[in-house]
Amino acid sequence: MTLEIQNLHARTEEREILHGVDLVVRKGETHALMGPNGSGKSTLANSLMGNPTYEITDGRVLLNGEDLTEADPDERARAGLFMAFQYPATIPGVSVANFLRMAVNARREEPIKVKEFGGLLKENMEMLRISRDFTSRYLNEGFSGGEKKRAEILQLAMLQPDFAVLDETDSGLDIDALRIVADGVNEMRGAERGFLIITHYTRILGLVRPDFVHIMLDGRIVREGGSELADELEDKGYEWVREGVAARAG
Amino acid sequence: MPASFVEDRRRAALEVYEREPVPTWRRSGFWTTTLRKLRLDELEPRHYEPVEELPDIVRDHLQGDEEHAALLVQRGASTIYSHVADERIVVMPLERAVEEHPELVEPWFMKRLSHEEGKFQAASAALWTGGAFVHVPRDVQLERPIQVVWLIDEPGTAQYAHTLALVGEFAECAIREYCLAPPIEGQALHAGGFELYARPGSHVRLAHYQDWGPGEVHDISTKRVEIGRDARVQWVPVHLGGHLTKQRLDIITAEQGSDMRHTGMYFTEREEHLDLFTSDKHEEGHTTGDTIWKGALTGESRASYEGLIHIVPGAQETNTYLQTHSMLLSPKAKGDAIPSLIVETDNVSASHGGTVGELDEEQIFYMMTRGISRAEAVRTLVEGYFEEVVQRLEDPGLEALVRRRIADKLRGAEEQVREFIGERS
Repeated sequence: MTLEIQNLHARTEEREILHGVDLVVRKGETHALMGPNGSGKSTLANSLMGNPTYEITDGRVLLNGEDLTEADPDERARAGLFMAFQYPATIPGVSVANFLRMAVNARREEPIKVKEFGGLLKENMEMLRISRDFTSRYLNEGFSGGEKKRAEILQLAMLQPDFAVLDETDSGLDIDALRIVADGVNEMRGAERGFLIITHYTRILGLVRPDFVHIMLDGRIVREGGSELADELEDKGYEWVREGVAARAG
Repeated sequence: MPASFVEDRRRAALEVYEREPVPTWRRSGFWTTTLRKLRLDELEPRHYEPVEELPDIVRDHLQGDEEHAALLVQRGASTIYSHVADERIVVMPLERAVEEHPELVEPWFMKRLSHEEGKFQAASAALWTGGAFVHVPRDVQLERPIQVVWLIDEPGTAQYAHTLALVGEFAECAIREYCLAPPIEGQALHAGGFELYARPGSHVRLAHYQDWGPGEVHDISTKRVEIGRDARVQWVPVHLGGHLTKQRLDIITAEQGSDMRHTGMYFTEREEHLDLFTSDKHEEGHTTGDTIWKGALTGESRASYEGLIHIVPGAQETNTYLQTHSMLLSPKAKGDAIPSLIVETDNVSASHGGTVGELDEEQIFYMMTRGISRAEAVRTLVEGYFEEVVQRLEDPGLEALVRRRIADKLRGAEEQVREFIGERS
């Protein structure tokens, strides 16, 4: 069971951002995708989910062998793909609880029983140390940065996807919030799930140790390695990666 | 023998009505409201006998017969049903109140309405029959609402309506007016005047629920609310159907400490035409206002909302704001949302804003990444958009009714909304 990204090219109306990305995440694995601002990380995450802002001009996205390159975002989600947004949208008038119920039911034949849903919600909220009144608030309306990220992880926990892409979930979190989010992710890691953690910083990777690290630069993956690569990057910075690429090209 | 103050008014109003031509309302831009297609000569007041059983459409809209403090139903030109469950209050046809309670009616009757405002204001002042009179005496607190229903169910009907409501000092109540019509084939007219006087210290929750259905019902009405010292009125007008609606809604904080909360919505479809003007008028200082209007448009409908905040000279320390939003859900619908402000004094806080927009593609994408289909995402977003208004009804039954009607309309428009929203992505 895999999430396969093959030679992915994606563009906005203005320009091509991804120039051929290859990446394979197997179930049970946690990958980190690192890169400086503007390297194409978020474009990759959004292209995986089918964001209409980006056009995929070449390459494929396969989930468990199924070609999702042309699929609508909701089909991708129902196939088992999830993304935690860097900047999640506000949904006025829709409570967290109602939104979660809708999302849970979207991937089921029969609607979830009230009691089962309540139990699941309570359990996951406790795990993420979210207070009870949270669920009656409108999703992301007036949420702090930390609350938004926790709401994303709560959705992840409720939906139990096969593969989860976390798009800069660590950005804007203080250390306590980061730890809660990291604990939540660690709780959900396991043989039945793959993670792709997109981040600018190595901070979260100290708490969620990846099996593989990929470094992206200018729309391409330029270096790959184990978790030690993140440590090396922490010491040497993105300039070091850039110089290495230039040297090879030269 | 009807009281002379009413008869004098009728005569004066009739003169204006007969003198004035059928108006056309124009504003800069694309906006014109015209009654060119209304065949006024073919409409007439229709009279009916009282009934024991409520008509189906009325029963379907109210939540059970006994859930009210009083219920008055006018079909066409006649009061057909009247029931008062609470003996402390007076709720009866205005015609009867003029005779039985002239001392209550005369000081207030058309105090804030004028037959000189226009042809149709004159029509309702001259030709009203039946009518509704509501009096909640001083200190009375009602737990159940007072309900008034205006029903039109035959083409060719002209309904001239008048409601006078007095809520005494420190009284508390909820008043609801329903304007209902089943689908009718042909034209009809509702020309109405509504006036509410909330006396000092009172608290009134007022709702207007209008759903004239898909028939050719024209509604030209003026509704006015006056709020006395330290009194509070929460007014929620809901427009869910009407072939052509031209209404003016005014809410007036007339004495110090009076407070208004004015929250309205409309959802137009097909070829409906809605022209709304509201004003929040602060006649005294130390008053507060809070106005939110939200609309959505499908089909080839037209909806114009103009909301004015007017603070008169001397009304210092007024604190008020107005927000209006209009959401276009079809490429052929046209709407505007115009907030305006007249401030004739200093030392006030007044702000206003208006937007006309479409659904946000980012929100739709976000919901779809959770497995929710585009159609369901759109429906949820529109329902969520109105939720702020719906909750201000503060009545679970009425809230459920409005939510159901919003969902119906969205289902009916699913195809065009999908095309419209789909096109942009």
